[in-house]
Amino acid sequence: MSDKTMRRTNNIVSFSALFLCGIVLMMPFIWMVSVGFDRTANITMPFPPRLIPEEVSIFNYGLVLENGRLISAYINSAIVTISSVVLQVGASLFAGYAFSKGDFKFKRLLFIVVLCTLMIPMEPRLIPLYTLFNKIGLLNTFWPLILPSVISGLLIFLSKQFFDQLPDTLREAAQIDGAGEFRIFFQVYFPLAGPIAATMVILSFIWSWNDFMWPLVVLNNQDLHTVPLYLASFSLENGTSLGGLTMALATVSVLPIVVLYLFLQRYIIQSIALSGVKGE
Amino acid sequence: MVKKKQATSGGAVQMSSSMAANADVDTIKSKKRRSTFTWYLFLLPSFLGILLFMVYPIVESFRLSFYQSNGTVETFIGLRNFQYVLTSATFWNTVWNTFFIGIFQILITIPLGFIFASLINSVRFGQNFFKVVYFLPNVTSIVAAAMIFQFVLHPEMGVANYALDALGLPTSTWFSDPTTSKWGVILLSVWHWIGFVVIICLANLQAISPEMYEAARIDGASSIQQWLFITIPNMSGTFAFLLITGWIGSLQRFNEIYVLGGPSGSPARSIQTMGAFIYERGFTGFEFGIASAATYIMFVIILIFTFFNLKISKMKL
Repeated sequence: MSDKTMRRTNNIVSFSALFLCGIVLMMPFIWMVSVGFDRTANITMPFPPRLIPEEVSIFNYGLVLENGRLISAYINSAIVTISSVVLQVGASLFAGYAFSKGDFKFKRLLFIVVLCTLMIPMEPRLIPLYTLFNKIGLLNTFWPLILPSVISGLLIFLSKQFFDQLPDTLREAAQIDGAGEFRIFFQVYFPLAGPIAATMVILSFIWSWNDFMWPLVVLNNQDLHTVPLYLASFSLENGTSLGGLTMALATVSVLPIVVLYLFLQRYIIQSIALSGVKGE
Repeated sequence: MVKKKQATSGGAVQMSSSMAANADVDTIKSKKRRSTFTWYLFLLPSFLGILLFMVYPIVESFRLSFYQSNGTVETFIGLRNFQYVLTSATFWNTVWNTFFIGIFQILITIPLGFIFASLINSVRFGQNFFKVVYFLPNVTSIVAAAMIFQFVLHPEMGVANYALDALGLPTSTWFSDPTTSKWGVILLSVWHWIGFVVIICLANLQAISPEMYEAARIDGASSIQQWLFITIPNMSGTFAFLLITGWIGSLQRFNEIYVLGGPSGSPARSIQTMGAFIYERGFTGFEFGIASAATYIMFVIILIFTFFNLKISKMKL
């Protein structure tokens, strides 16, 4: 066998292996959508499982959308996520810029403090934060979900690294023109920060949208439930009965995120890779 | 006439700028102080957040772990909370469950994800397509994923057992039996995490210099040899990173447990993790002291691993 044909067969074998494993990986999604279209699945799940339901119907999807709770959960999630992202990305860009270009006392020490926050998980903070927000009467509002997201050590680190790559000469030129620090930031550096800001928005969005434990603790009021909370409460209530309805609900809750992902996949994958690729 | 006017105005500009330079020298100290103040303004939102939402809760939680508390009434009881947690069979069961699920999740996902990433890196077309497909599970929230897997792994009507049976492989009772429920969680977490591993491996695979492979090819190394002796050694940093982030993530496992088995990790506490124990004691029992002591034990474990992570990832200070 020549080298060329061997490489070609290798390529075909790799491709087929990936394709097959990809189908296995996608199976839960495919099955989810199919069962959602099966009207009879609420009484007994179709067995053996079939790709096309015996009686295709949009009954389950209609019911999910008619019941307003998923829609209101979406609105709640959107409010919380957008506010958190703006706050978190804004504060992190500011701080990262200061750590990169600033000249002030305790710079190194303060940056070490920021890196230390990377080591602090949510769990030990749950109870004090709960009592804190309880004391100031903000439980069962969105504030406890939005305000603490102001701090993200990883985003500050990413933004500092990005500004480190931009030359200081830009600053010096603007300073000679008499611009203040805030003007320099907003007019010179901020417009150049597009790529890193996009990455930060994507990461921040994913964290906030999927946040579960903390919202579960502070939101008892069902009307304020975010999407993950609503899904969890529905699932705990119904277990594995109402298969068709559960799968329709899962589909509708996952679909917008999947569509968003398909549109932005290049950027999202880059952002994830960047968050995991080690700093030099 | 016009020429003269220009000349005088030019002189005026020169003079005023030299005056400004003098003024600069005079006020350079106060200006520096002012700009230091401006820099602190840049840091204000972040450090307000650190003080209020990081430092205060960590200190307060430490204090609480020495008290018996339900949020309103507090009594100092010394180390009794720690004593209680560390001698509680329920707590050690959650440690066992957390470690068991975490270890197998990592042992399966990292090698498998690395193989997938190597294959994706080697195919000549469809690279981007496979990247998108393999990362898709990671995009869906783990809560929705757990909801779907309750049905996928259902012992009687699930698609997983049907497929296993059709292939002549043994089936499992998955979540319905305490002896197999952990494997259901492992399968779910492998499915959910593998995309992340693939993406991180791919990014680092593509960063390996092609010259190394060229040199190996000239020396007559086969592609398997290249993979074993160039790719794998060059990926050791990536594996360490994945190992530690994966391990820290699994120590904090809670969301899918809550959906699949509630705060007590049903059936029979067989999937209750440390995070679920903390939630159960803190927010269904309102035993804040005991929950705080448990979080501190968990925190110390996580701290040790995060410290290693920072060492390995060599974050520049």
